[in-house]
Amino acid sequence: MLRGRSRKTPFRGRLPLALCLVFAGWLATIQVRAAEIVLTGVHNSPGVQSFTQALKALRPEDEVRFTPLASLPAPGKLPRNVRLVLLDLPSLDWRLQETQGPATLVLRISRQQARDRLGETTPDHLSLLWSDPPLARQLRLIRAILPQISRVGVLFDGHSEFLLKEIRQAATPLGLEIVSERWDDTSDSRPLQKLLSHSDVLLGLDDPDLYNPKTVKNLLLSSYARQRALIGPNAAFVKAGSLASTYSDQEDWLAILDDLLDRPAATWPRTLYPARFKVLSNQQVARSLGIEPIDAESVAAQLAEGEPRP
Amino acid sequence: MEKSLTSVNMPAILSLIKGCVVSVGPSRSGSSLLLALFISPPVLAHDLFVDSQPLPQVLTATRLKQSPAAVPGSMTVLDSELIKASGARDISELLRLVPGMMVGNISGNQAAVNYHGTNATEARRMQVLIDGRSVYRAGLATVDWSDIPVAMEDIERIEVFRGPNTVSYGANALMAVVNIITRAPADSHGTRLKITRGQRGISDWYASQGSGWEGGDLRLSLSGQEDDGFDSNRNGADYRDSRRLNRFNLSVSQTLNEQQSIDWQLNAKDGTNQRPYTYRPVFAGITAAGDNSDVVAKDYAGSLRWNLDLNPNHSLYVQGSVQHWDRQQTWRACDAEVSFSPQLTDLWLLNPNYAEKLARNIPSFTGTGAPPGTPQEQALANQVLDQWRNGASQTLCGDIDQSARESRYDLEIQDTLSLSDSLRLVTGANYRYDRADSETYFNGTLDDTTWRLFGQLEWRASEHWLVQGGAMFEDTHLTGSSLTPRVAVNYLITPRHGLRAVYSEAVRSPDMFENNVNWSYQVTNLKPTAFGQSSARYFVQTRGPGNLDQEHMRSRELGYNGYFMNLGLTVDVKLFHDEITGMISEPLRNNQYIASNANESQFSGAETQFDWRITSADRLRLTYAYVDALASNALDEQPTARNSGSAGWLRDWGRGWNSAVFYYGADDLNGYRFERIDTRLAKRIPLGKANLELAGILQQRLDNQPTTFVDNRYDSRHVLYFTAELSF
Repeated sequence: MLRGRSRKTPFRGRLPLALCLVFAGWLATIQVRAAEIVLTGVHNSPGVQSFTQALKALRPEDEVRFTPLASLPAPGKLPRNVRLVLLDLPSLDWRLQETQGPATLVLRISRQQARDRLGETTPDHLSLLWSDPPLARQLRLIRAILPQISRVGVLFDGHSEFLLKEIRQAATPLGLEIVSERWDDTSDSRPLQKLLSHSDVLLGLDDPDLYNPKTVKNLLLSSYARQRALIGPNAAFVKAGSLASTYSDQEDWLAILDDLLDRPAATWPRTLYPARFKVLSNQQVARSLGIEPIDAESVAAQLAEGEPRP
Repeated sequence: MEKSLTSVNMPAILSLIKGCVVSVGPSRSGSSLLLALFISPPVLAHDLFVDSQPLPQVLTATRLKQSPAAVPGSMTVLDSELIKASGARDISELLRLVPGMMVGNISGNQAAVNYHGTNATEARRMQVLIDGRSVYRAGLATVDWSDIPVAMEDIERIEVFRGPNTVSYGANALMAVVNIITRAPADSHGTRLKITRGQRGISDWYASQGSGWEGGDLRLSLSGQEDDGFDSNRNGADYRDSRRLNRFNLSVSQTLNEQQSIDWQLNAKDGTNQRPYTYRPVFAGITAAGDNSDVVAKDYAGSLRWNLDLNPNHSLYVQGSVQHWDRQQTWRACDAEVSFSPQLTDLWLLNPNYAEKLARNIPSFTGTGAPPGTPQEQALANQVLDQWRNGASQTLCGDIDQSARESRYDLEIQDTLSLSDSLRLVTGANYRYDRADSETYFNGTLDDTTWRLFGQLEWRASEHWLVQGGAMFEDTHLTGSSLTPRVAVNYLITPRHGLRAVYSEAVRSPDMFENNVNWSYQVTNLKPTAFGQSSARYFVQTRGPGNLDQEHMRSRELGYNGYFMNLGLTVDVKLFHDEITGMISEPLRNNQYIASNANESQFSGAETQFDWRITSADRLRLTYAYVDALASNALDEQPTARNSGSAGWLRDWGRGWNSAVFYYGADDLNGYRFERIDTRLAKRIPLGKANLELAGILQQRLDNQPTTFVDNRYDSRHVLYFTAELSF
């Protein structure tokens, strides 16, 4: 993935060719760096402001600014050399009005949200940067911290069902069995109970219909009562009582964004899971479940080690 | 009541969440990024990519339990899988799975459960709780296992704390604590219907409905139980010990806001327990007799608990409960008219030995006159002999009302405070009012109030050392005050393997019956009349000493608990030495009951339990206890089996089939061997969205002995029953 490794290719004695390439690359960089970067979303919240400031600090040569969605013209009316960074779903809806317009990076969008809006297609003019932790990585996290377990329970509904196939594919090589249960009505706890009795650990999908402030108590208390850990669905749940999750924070996203913005928009991937990530664990829960303290640093390194490299 | 520091059910000292975070992935040169990197973890709270939704902290430091290796004592947890697989119809039967538990029967509808031992007919040294509410009877201080208003199907798990723990559970948690935890309403959604039919008159049913709404859940369950009890007594005659009961349970949880929630329950049980007619006429020549002394047993309970989470490190609850035990026992008994002689009553009060000697041998004294004694005794005796000669030898039958109504009001507040990463404090106070109302036992009403203060500190000195200690102060109106300490040290080799050393003291307050009994029978509806009265007082009267002290227990324990993750094997081993002094061992009898604190007992030995999930389909469970009992009163020694244990194998065969086989054995339980194999075979059949489970249970006794007492006999060594359960 976007690790900028091409720039580190050894010269191997082909100096003239290499010099040409470096020159071309430098030209390209100059061109990209000249870009105007427009971040947009409905609200300029403190979080958005801090992110904008951080990106500005990271790219002093660029003109980085946040423009509220309401102040932007139609996408097609924006200058072509602008690099658009969308920070919320309304801004995505706005961008989807027309295919014409500047190159666009979509942040803070989950697989499920994209699926709900776009179906199975990924528009050519968008680069979707997934906010939900990649499921294969979450499964490897389970393998790393709970090596003895074999059955992974997954709750899903109509919106998240499409992820099951992918989870199963990722689980097989890890020797994990996926036990899934449809949970359409979260006020009925039977599917949850059934799943807990047939699985060793619960893997949370970033599906806000299932994992939200209203369901969190029942989910965590019920699974904990059966001595089952919840993994994921995101970092916020770890604070609530989930055992652990991988996640990418602002720092990770800034690095990824910085890397992408360095490159010509034509080379941007259509979709991307962040290669930079962290592991967050809840040591209280680990201790109570009799699990060895989770060394987030080494687990994260171990997971990164096992990920396919571009 | 349930305390939070001392059982597996209890939260551990847990550190505040530490953002154990580290970034991985391609590193990037660029000093500007370093800036962002440095501010990253603290900034988590305002991170555009992390803190996207405000979630309450659910598994807080005060809510989390200790890992088994960190529990300051010995603990056996009977989970729902085990409970179901056992096929047991009674809570007492389940306790056979607990090492060191001596489970027997007084009759078919009266279980006798003791941890390690002491008198089988008065199993009163164990605390028994349902969702934090003690079901230990207020006046007669026993647990009527069969009358506990909870259905087996509603039980989520049973946690047995094997050892004294008055610090956490109050006086009477002398030898062990059985904590029965029912299924949370939130985990009981849907409908369940179950029916059980089998030999020995077994006929049980259960129906429950659970549902949820915004912030709340409820479970309503109704159930019934029937069986014939044992088949015959020592003479081969039919043994009158069947039971028939119905129960009602309503359990509701409601979240009020992010910090507060309430849980409330209503429980009721109504049923009949047969009792044989056991009255033996004192006077010669009486042949008429009643035919039973059956009990109508009604139990009612209501509890309300308010939970308040002040913050993730500080929570408290207030729980109030009201309970009422109603035992209606009116039966007809026959003896000679002279039983109601005022002179004989006076003689009894003067010298019970003399009176009993006279009464039991009255025909032999009619010729010779009163037996030797003081002039006053002899004068009264001669008057009684005159009455006998003048026709008071005739048979009278009348109604005896041995009913008792007991009530308890209990209010408790408990505060759990996580002072730091490694220090946690549980404190609380409890007020209890007990009242017993019985003409026969107390000549009216007797009441008692109890105040209790408790505190326990849990200190995680290091990654390996855990020190937990506390004390309870209790003041009882009828028996005075006591202070009991408890200290436990756990050494955690790893989070899953722990060694423990525990010293604890505990007390048991004599119950109202032992200490304050004022036992006499006002017999009514006499036919023919006694000395012209249709209602008269029977001559035997018994009074409790009123000055009994508490029993004291000193317990020492060394233990190991470990979970071998790769094998799926949990092991617990315990070595113990317990001493009870000031024991009240005299059986509760109405002739010459002289209770005292004169006895003592010692129990030492070893216990172990293995729970091994061999494969995802097989589970093997073994328990064994070696208990050496030494008691000054033989009755306290007899119920202890030197060797006892259980072995179970649970298997899921796939395609909806599963099986379980359990062996239970005790070499000498109150003088009798007990060995039984229980087999359960079940098939689950999906019916659309519903599930039907059919199961058959066969219990096979391997020995030919009576169960615990000589009159507890079955005609056949096996019993077979079937269940069908539909859930949707």
